[in-house]
Amino acid sequence: MMRKNKGRQKIKMAKMKNESNLQVTFSKRKSGLFKKASELCTLCGTEIVVIVFSPGRKVFSFGHPNVDVVIDRFLNINPRHPHQNINLQLNEARQNYVVQDLNDHLAQVTEQLEVEKKRNEDLKQKRKDDKRSKNWWEDPVEGFNLRQLTEFKSGLKILKKKVTTEASKYLQATGHNFYFGSSSNAGFGTFDDDEGNNNSDLDLFNHRRLVGMKTFSCNHQNMIIPHPSTTPYGNAVIERFAPEHNQNKNQYCLKQERCECDHQPDPPPHFRHHYY
Amino acid sequence: MTRQKVKMAYIENESSRKATYKKRKNGILKKANELATLCGVPVGVIIDSAYDLSPEVWPSREEMDKVVSQWQRLPVMDRTKKMLNQQSYLQQRISKETETCKKLTKENKELEMKEVMFDCLSGKTSPSRIEISDLRGCGNVIEQYLKNLKRRIEILSKNDGASSSSVHAAATTSAAMPIVEMGSSSTAFSDMIRQQQIQSNMNQTVRGLDLNQQQW
Repeated sequence: MMRKNKGRQKIKMAKMKNESNLQVTFSKRKSGLFKKASELCTLCGTEIVVIVFSPGRKVFSFGHPNVDVVIDRFLNINPRHPHQNINLQLNEARQNYVVQDLNDHLAQVTEQLEVEKKRNEDLKQKRKDDKRSKNWWEDPVEGFNLRQLTEFKSGLKILKKKVTTEASKYLQATGHNFYFGSSSNAGFGTFDDDEGNNNSDLDLFNHRRLVGMKTFSCNHQNMIIPHPSTTPYGNAVIERFAPEHNQNKNQYCLKQERCECDHQPDPPPHFRHHYY
Repeated sequence: MTRQKVKMAYIENESSRKATYKKRKNGILKKANELATLCGVPVGVIIDSAYDLSPEVWPSREEMDKVVSQWQRLPVMDRTKKMLNQQSYLQQRISKETETCKKLTKENKELEMKEVMFDCLSGKTSPSRIEISDLRGCGNVIEQYLKNLKRRIEILSKNDGASSSSVHAAATTSAAMPIVEMGSSSTAFSDMIRQQQIQSNMNQTVRGLDLNQQQW
């Protein structure tokens, strides 16, 4: 079983010999120290300052409420807890709320990150374990000979066409705004085949999308609005499928005018992955 | 020592808070010491709380004085460049972790789509049964794969000009791919390929890589 790192090992409490290891250690431990400092302030409400100089003589500092105030007090510029005027107190209270919010947000993100990490591990492990159904094309592409490559390619192209057909069938059936645009790729329907021709029937998506924008004002009909508890990807998915969830609040519904549309979304799609 | 998840919020219970403070304070000082020793760098910590009569200064007042002097000798810009308080620190962490999470989510989606793609090829499922939300992702993965295949074919064709004719032969035989049949025998595609593999010249070297370790 391959390990990612050597694991916990006892280290000698003396200046490290290896320069690059030292740098890495510095970086990690500084980060850990700041984290501990932040936690202490949050949990116990103490004031703290940590100043660290790097091997390259750059300085890093963390302070609560801020570095300067605590340093000044240390240097006896400001005595301990002077007569704090009401503004200072209010300011402090407000800051505490902000910080608490941030802490909550961070906790949320950290939890999400853990979920994704676990999922990543599970997926990779599943791939490893799935030996019994190991087809030759599931191996890395680099190991294929020319014949295998071409075989695979042809098979994939057919699959691609079928997937495309499925997607377009769906568009035609419901005729709603199926937004394909996203930051990650240029557009499903516009890649070309080997000869460099733009496959025109694949442009179906973009065409549909453009047409849909003008023609269908009512986006609620047949709109699949995923139930929050079934979307593993949080807001990202909602934005993709129900963009007016966030925008286009002034879209009016044609059907509503004619008392046909009752704005009921279809039942949410069943997501295959059961991570929720 | 049980490992329990602590909620990152002000501890309301007085005695709990005090106990936590003592433990964590010592922990921080220990960590500060390790950092300073292992990396041979100046470190200074001041902890001021209602539980101590005077602020806790580490390593000592004298040492802290030195650190502060060194600190003050720096131009204000250098001092404040990496200065953090609770707000800025937490915001930084939030953005970093959000970024990592996004990347991981994307990777996971791709891995999943890859599985779907393989399942389609082996007949375990078919495009009609792919979730609508996954269709695009699946299409992307297929596209990526195709691009990679194309690249590999180019590379191999360049090196191996003689076998270019065999490429055409292979292409025509694959014309009627079993996966076109929806829900037909799942192993049709694989069987056909295996047959062809067995028949083809086994002398052709498959690059001697450890395939299990290669990550696509």
